[in-house]
Amino acid sequence: MRLPCPYCGERDSREFTYRGDATLTRPAVESEMADYVYQRDNPLGWHKEYWLHTVCRTWLAVERDTRTHALGPVSIARCERVGS
Amino acid sequence: MPDFNLIHKAVLADVRYGIFGNMPPEGPGIRLQACPETCLLHVLGAPGCGDLFTVLTARPACHVRVAGPSQWLIASEDPITDVVIRDLEDLLGERAVVSDQTHGRIRIGISGPRASALLAKGTAIDLDPAQFQTGKSAMTLIGHITVNLARIGHDAFEIIVLRGFAESLWNDLIHMGLEYGVDCIPAHLAGKHPSGKITG
Ligand SMILES: [Zn+2]
Repeated sequence: MRLPCPYCGERDSREFTYRGDATLTRPAVESEMADYVYQRDNPLGWHKEYWLHTVCRTWLAVERDTRTHALGPVSIARCERVGS
Repeated sequence: MPDFNLIHKAVLADVRYGIFGNMPPEGPGIRLQACPETCLLHVLGAPGCGDLFTVLTARPACHVRVAGPSQWLIASEDPITDVVIRDLEDLLGERAVVSDQTHGRIRIGISGPRASALLAKGTAIDLDPAQFQTGKSAMTLIGHITVNLARIGHDAFEIIVLRGFAESLWNDLIHMGLEYGVDCIPAHLAGKHPSGKITG
């Protein structure tokens, strides 16, 4: 699989580290923390997730089809967070 | 009395030098050059600082490499001094901070007719001169080691690597280049060795 880092361009997956579900929001209350940390779906199909481009140290928000590795939009996660 | 006496020495002072591998009749396919540990600065841009590459490149006697979003590495053959850092800080003002990494990262020159072929074994970057032109640089992996790779000539590249990984990378590069013939040149012979000149 290759991922297009918006900064570096397309690189192979060795340069990236998977950093989990990008749709979760850190809960405000303690009682929901365990689910936030440990509960994960294993979706079949499109999934929004974080990947760290380890060489340029940029977190990316990536949409990926877990069946085919087809990619949707890839953005720099920091920009997306600030924007939302 | 300290428990250990700290010894200041270049990280590549004691690695393997000389000729390795199958030497073709026309000479070594690869020249590995340990660069003197003179000056290496890390520039970290503030949010919204814009592209400072042109600003940094305008300064004399320095090579600017792109090191990630809003980050640049500056290498120079001139030794680092407080004045160099202060001048750079004055130039950048609020736009960026400067961190001296002369102790933290080192440079290795890789040149010769098979330099691209050797690097292609380790990196995901397309090294076609039309894609990765002279003067371009990028962060990438060589094997498992994160490096900044720059093209400084058609058959000449320079790597910036964390000091602690330098010896391991040096040995990897020799190993990767055995089929081409590798001439490994120590830092004090930079530019003086008969075959050690990094040509453009
Ligand atoms: Zn990147």
